[in-house]
Formats: sequence, C-alpha cells, structure tokens
Amino acid sequence: MSRERTGKMLGAQVRRVEDPRVLLGKTQYVDDLVLPDMLAVAFVRSPYAHAKIANIDVQAALTKPGVACVLTGKDILETIKPLRVEFDTQKVPFHKSCNWHVLTPDKVRFVGDMVAAVVATDRYTAEDAAELVEVDYEPLEAVADMESALLADAPLVHEEWGDNVMERLEAQIGEVGKAFQEADCVVSERFVTGRHMASPMETRGCVAQFDVATESLTVWSSTQVPHTLRASLATLLDLAEHRIRVISPDVGGGFGLKAHPFPEEVVVTYLARALRKPVKWIEDRREHLSASLQAKHQIVNAELALKSDGSVLGLKARFLSDAGGYSSYPWSSAFEPKHAAGTITGPYKIPAFSFETCTVATNKASIGVYRGVGIPVAALAMERLLDMGAQKLGLDPAEIRLRNMIPQDEHPYTTLMGAEIESGSHQASLQQALDILGYGDFRIEQQKARKNGRYLGAGIGSYVEGTAHNSAVFDSFGVKIGGYESATLRIDESGKVTVFVGTHSHGQGHHTIYAQLIADTLGVALEDVAVVQGDTQATPRGWGTWASRSAVTGGGAVTSAARKLRDKLLRIATRLTEVPADDLELAQGAVQRKTGGVRLLSIPELAHRIIAQPTSLPPDEEPGLDVTVAYEPPPITHSNATHVAAVEVDIETGQVQILRYIVVEDCGTIINPIIVNGQIQGGVAQGIGSALYEQAVYDDTGQFLTGTFMDYLIPTAADVPQVEIGHIETPSPYTLHGIKGMGEGGAIAPPAAIANAVADALSPFGVRVNEVPLTPERVLSMLDRAQTNPSAE
Amino acid sequence: MAETQFAESQTIRVRVNGQEYEREVPVRRLLADFIRHDLGLTATHLGCEHGVCGACTIIMDGESVRSCLLFAVQADGAELRTLEGLADGDEMHPLQQAFWDNHALQCGFCTSGFLMSAVDLLNKNPQPSEEEIRHGLSGNLCRCTGYANIVKAVQAVAEQSQS
Repeated sequence: MSRERTGKMLGAQVRRVEDPRVLLGKTQYVDDLVLPDMLAVAFVRSPYAHAKIANIDVQAALTKPGVACVLTGKDILETIKPLRVEFDTQKVPFHKSCNWHVLTPDKVRFVGDMVAAVVATDRYTAEDAAELVEVDYEPLEAVADMESALLADAPLVHEEWGDNVMERLEAQIGEVGKAFQEADCVVSERFVTGRHMASPMETRGCVAQFDVATESLTVWSSTQVPHTLRASLATLLDLAEHRIRVISPDVGGGFGLKAHPFPEEVVVTYLARALRKPVKWIEDRREHLSASLQAKHQIVNAELALKSDGSVLGLKARFLSDAGGYSSYPWSSAFEPKHAAGTITGPYKIPAFSFETCTVATNKASIGVYRGVGIPVAALAMERLLDMGAQKLGLDPAEIRLRNMIPQDEHPYTTLMGAEIESGSHQASLQQALDILGYGDFRIEQQKARKNGRYLGAGIGSYVEGTAHNSAVFDSFGVKIGGYESATLRIDESGKVTVFVGTHSHGQGHHTIYAQLIADTLGVALEDVAVVQGDTQATPRGWGTWASRSAVTGGGAVTSAARKLRDKLLRIATRLTEVPADDLELAQGAVQRKTGGVRLLSIPELAHRIIAQPTSLPPDEEPGLDVTVAYEPPPITHSNATHVAAVEVDIETGQVQILRYIVVEDCGTIINPIIVNGQIQGGVAQGIGSALYEQAVYDDTGQFLTGTFMDYLIPTAADVPQVEIGHIETPSPYTLHGIKGMGEGGAIAPPAAIANAVADALSPFGVRVNEVPLTPERVLSMLDRAQTNPSAE
Repeated sequence: MAETQFAESQTIRVRVNGQEYEREVPVRRLLADFIRHDLGLTATHLGCEHGVCGACTIIMDGESVRSCLLFAVQADGAELRTLEGLADGDEMHPLQQAFWDNHALQCGFCTSGFLMSAVDLLNKNPQPSEEEIRHGLSGNLCRCTGYANIVKAVQAVAEQSQS
C-alpha cells in the first residue's frame, strides 16, 4: 500500500492547540464541577487485609447532622451486580472468575476494600460520618505474597476456587528441549519486579446526576474509557444504556489505570439515582495508592540457551503474578503475565520458547493495566539474560543483540507467538543509540573511573512495542471488546470542521494530531478543526485511549472520515466546475485546480451549497456533510526502540545516579515530533520510577505501608535527566500514513536498561542484579550478597 | 467544667488576584478548598492533600505555599495569587507562553502548581542554573512530562529577562 501524498501538517512541529486553555486555568476536571444540591460521598474502607464482616452498625453515622444516607453491601446485594470478568472458556480455559462486589457484603479482601458508602452535604461531613460507621471485623490470616499463595495450606482469597490460582497457561513452541541440550551456554535467573502504580496526578473521581424528567443519568468521570464505563454502568445497575450519558471532561492523566470501570463509579451512579440528587466522589491520595489498581508485580524465572557465538537457541520462562484481591475489567488481573509471555521474545529471533504463566489472588489491591503492561517485566528478564549470556561467552552486550535481532529485510517477521512484526529497525536503533552515547569512549572512561574507585556502567534495553490491537486480537485473547475506533466528521455551513471521536486524550495531544491529519486531508487550517471527545452523547461508540492505540486507530478513523468528505466535496465540485475530478484538490481552504493551483471555489461556499442549497446538487448526491466511520486497524502495529542508560553507582550508599539516558525509537511516520518526544521523555520518567524508586509495599499481614507520596516515591525534576532522543521512521505498510503507536514505549525499557547498567557498573563485584526497584538499600544488599572484593584492575 | 469552646467558623478577609473577598468559613476548611469551592477559582488543583505533590501551590504574601497544608483562616488578611491571576487578561504571562512554546505540559493537572512555583523561583532567583531550576521545582510532581520541557520553559524565561 503506497503512502498517500500528504500535505504539510503531517510531521510538522506544531505547538499543541489544547494548551492555552490549560495554561490560563480554564480547564474543567471532575472536581471542578459544582451542581446545585450536590452531595458528597466518602467510602468506609477496610483496615484489614483479610477479614470477615460480622456486623456493621451505621446508626451513629446516620444520625449525624448533614448525613443523607449510608449504604452497605447487604443493602445493594440484589440491586447492583458485582463486577465480574468472564472469558470465553474455549479461548481462556484455565481462568477462574470472581465477584467484585461494589460494596463487599461478607468479607474484605484487601486493605482499602469498600464496606460502606456515606453520603452527606459535603466531603468534610461525609468523611467525619464515615469514621462513625462501626464495622466488626473477624480478622483472617492473609495471603500476603504470591509464592505462599500457592502453598497447600494457604488461606483462600476466594473460597469457591478451592485454591488461590486465578489463571494458568502454558505453551511450548519449537523444540525447546533440544535447544537446551545443544546449547553451549545456559544462563538463568529469577527476576522480581516491584508492585508499581500508574498514580496520575489527578486521582479518580466522578459526579453523577439523575434527571427526573427524562429518567436519565449523566455521569462525569475521570476515565479513559467513557463508552466502556457507560456499558458497564448499564449492565451492573440494570439500566438502559441510552439513558446514561458519560462525560469524561479534562482528565489529569491515566496511564492505563483509568481504562477500567471502577466499583466507586457504580456506587456513585446508583446513589444519584436513588437519592434524586447529584453525588460527587473525589478520591484522596491514600485511597488511590491503597485501593485503586496496582501493576506489574511478577516473579519471572527464565533460562536462555545460547550457542558459543551468542546466537539464541531457546528460551524458557515461568511468570508468577500477584493479582491482588479481585480482577479488573475488562482484561482481568491475569493479563499482566500473559502479555509478558507474549512479548518476551522482543526484537529477537528465537527458534524455541516454552512458558508457563500463573496468576494468583492475594490480599492486596488488584492488578490493572499500566503503561507497557507486561512488556517492562518481560524486557527486564530478556535483556538481563542477554547481558548475562554475553558476559559468560565473553561477548559485548551490543554484539549479542545485533546477532539475534530480526534483520530489517526479514520483515514482515512472524514471531513464535504468531504476531507479525510488519517492519522495524532493531539493529539500526541499537547502533544509533550506542553512537549517541559514544560507546567506545564510555568503555575507556569506565575503566579509568574504576581505577579511582568510581563505578560507571552502561546498559541496553531493546524492545518491540505492540500497539493498537484490533478486534480480532482481543477476540483471540477472549476479551470482549473492540479494537476499532470511530469518528464522526462534520463540515458546517461556514466550512469549519468538527470531528467527534471515541478516543480520549488526557495529555496525549489528540486535539492537535487529529487536527493535523484532517487539515492535510481537507486542505483547511489547523484552527478550523475542532475535536470533540469524552461524551457518549456526542461521539460515536469508541473504545477510549490505552495501549498506545489512538494515533493508529483514532488517527485512522478521523483520516478515513475526512477522506470520505473530501471525496464528496471533490465529486460535487467537479460537477459544479466541470473540471475533471483528477485535476481537483482541496488546499488552502478551497477547491483548486492541481494544474496551476487556480482557486475555483472556497470550501465555505461549497459547504454552504451542499448543506443549505441542496437543490443545486446533482440528483444522486445526498445533502449534508456529515459522515461516521469505524476504522479497524491491522492486528498489531509494532514500534521498536533501544534505550541506553549510563549510570554511576555509589558503593558506599547504594545510590544509582543516571548520567545519561538515550532513546532511539521508531514509531513509523511521526505526526508531530514535539508530542512524540514528550511521550518518550515522560514515559522514561515513569520507567526510571519503576527502575529505581517506586513500589507499593505490604507487610506480611497484608497491611499497606506506602499510603502517601512520602512513601511511594515518584521521581522529581531532580531525578529525571533530559533524555537524548534519536528517531528512525520505518512506516507501517498497513496503517494509514504508516503511523505506529508509541505512547507506552518510554516506560518499557528503563528497568531493563538501568538494571543492565547497574550490573555493568558493579561487574567487578559479581553482583546479581535481578530485582527492581534498585533502591539504595537493595543495591547495598546485592553488594553484600556478592561477598567478593573488587578485582584488581 | 465545660471544655474550652472553639468557634466553628470565622470571618476572614483575603485579597486574591487583586480582588477583595470577605467570607465566613469553618475554621477547619482548607485554604485549597476555600479557593476552589468557595471562591470558584478551580485552576488550583489538589493532587495529594498531604503537601508532597505541589499541585495546589499558590503565592501567599510573596511566598509560594501549598494551599492544602493551610487552613483558610490562616490566610486571613493575606494577599494571594493563583493561576487565574497570572495572565493579563488573555495575554499570557511569559512563563505561560514558555510552557506552551516548549510543550511543558501534557494532561495539565500539575501545570498550575508548576507555574506558581516557577513564579516564586524566578522572583527570588531571576537567573537560575539548570540545577537550581530542577531543585527549585523538585517540590512539584508531574507524572506526564518527565520535567525536561518544564525546565527548558523556565530557562527560556530566565534568558528572556536577561536580554
């Protein structure tokens, strides 16, 4: 498929059109919404990880002045369905579903589990009254870690399962046994990743309002998935979906966390309908850290079989994943290890691979999707194993990768897992990243520094990022959602364009990139395109923004819609002007002759005729300029990148300092380099958090210990360096304009690259680097364990 | 003996972005909630409500403060400046313009706090080094941008004021 001739906005370095209103303070996030007679809700949450609820006494709370209502799990057992992730058993045979009651009626399964909802005139009163709800708990022994969850005598999180296993999966592709028999070298390691959190700066929150006259609900929520939330609310509350309107206004970041419908949203919507008054809930940060969704916590035991020249013969991996107390909708809390298994081969040609995944329930907050889902953990394991193999075989880490990467001319390349990597630049991205670092010089500097007792290291992390999965891929996962995206495009009588799209920008700059794509297709100015999103009543059914899908799917939908209207404008223009269609184009706000660029008819003039003077149209043309398109992308669109981290490790304090951080990425055709670079820099910051600082911590009774930003450490401006970015553009042969998704990539490789850099820095000590975050304490204990002296160099 | 009785509410006078307000507030009302919900100035955001993230940063009597760590009554008699008071009408303040030019914001939730911290930083140190900017803004958390463009934006304004 050839790339269409494109105008000047695609690839242009355009400042974001959405910024002025943000900078001038004119945004409206959920908590900014004030409605008459609005009530506030506060939730009563469990202080225990695992306990039976013997009794709940709400009297004291109910009698407090200002309190409108107290709701417990038993009150709504018959009226609100629990969240429940069900898979097609043919596609996901070994999965156990569980009920996630929006208010738990019988027992609590994590610290923060919701027991009651208190509604009052304002948030202060609601929180005071929540303190007055007396819950008698009978504490149970907690399942506090994923390995003990598997013991025969472990307490059960969900009794009806008979054990704590949510899902198991195993597969063998190729002759793995033979690969390991024939190997010259086998390296193996146990990798552990922290329990990370997306933790957007705006916490969750929603407002619901019931309109008595129309018996309809409007729900404003800080969500990435307005349509999915609407469908869930309709199902769980047994309401007609067309009587619910979900609006996601300005949303202060999501990173996957807000791509899930939540119990709180269901309760708030129920309350607004029951009380006939608007109800607001704004999550506080402790609730967010303890009781939203956590992510990425896995133990991976992996082995790599290599030939003496460094070529990989086979890979075995076991992924154990800690799902927490329930299962998040729609992918389930067992998706993390499956996606790790599905992506661990990365950019490498691996002839044989076997894996097992096992997801267990524990008494912690549940796992959800967060930027990169599974790939950061998989990349950590794969990239560390390659470095370990290289060290054992006396090869350079760059060399072993170059030897195993899929060569550019072997695309499209079908992986062992059946995914087709359509195009890429794996070796080139690695080479360019090393050039930016000055790899040879760095090695010399490293040697010099060691002589002075300073420990520098460089580490590589290469990956492939699968983005914008289509409907068939989700169907094969057994997940009942669409991968397509929809757009309605409208040109009004004045020739201005409005596009209504089902994706949701909460920082990604869609207003700008969609306007760029449409401006090119319709020959109009950027400022003549308005983008409407985040309102189920205005936009066609779409799937929101997650999994780096919007540039490909939303971009595909808006471009397809614009092309349809462009074709209609040109069809009618050729009849009106009697200039052959193939000599007409839309440019600079007008229909022009390609030859000579003669301006024939302005778009406003033409639009006015098509809309308001339909009698002047050819009889076979419908009046109006309004079209809705659903765009189904190719199965998976793959970006690729290499990250290189250069670090210094202080062996006295265990502190890791990032000296330089380099990313060379290839997301195909770039729509707007400012936005792509911003996504990379921001993703890397989150990845540095995963690699060095962030972890949600529970003690061995399941008590949650990291409930503030003083305990859960998000990197600051003092911790994140300026990322040095290089680009390669290898277009996808299958997407419109050759665009590939790239939103998650920045966050994928930092744990791998930084762990490799730390291992490289500490190589004189023979330190095993197999866990993130690499906190100073952990680095010191790794050094202690190594129990070797620096080799004299 | 009866317990000491504290007043439940108190009347305060504040000047915010040049405008006088006199309001009766519950004594435990947070300054941030007062600004956002009583005065309707919602550009000031709350990200953690425990004084770490800096989203609620405003200027009080010339000093940047976290409005989630103060009660409204503590601002009685004070002069406050919030994001709404930064631009001159629709004419952006140089920092706002520099944030736009340098793509220093993504979701925008933390932006207000960063702008107010940057105002304070440049007031006290008009020509900060990169390290001083990073240190000066390290009390504000951003989860989207990775900070580099925020630092560049502040540098750009500092350079402008030099020339």
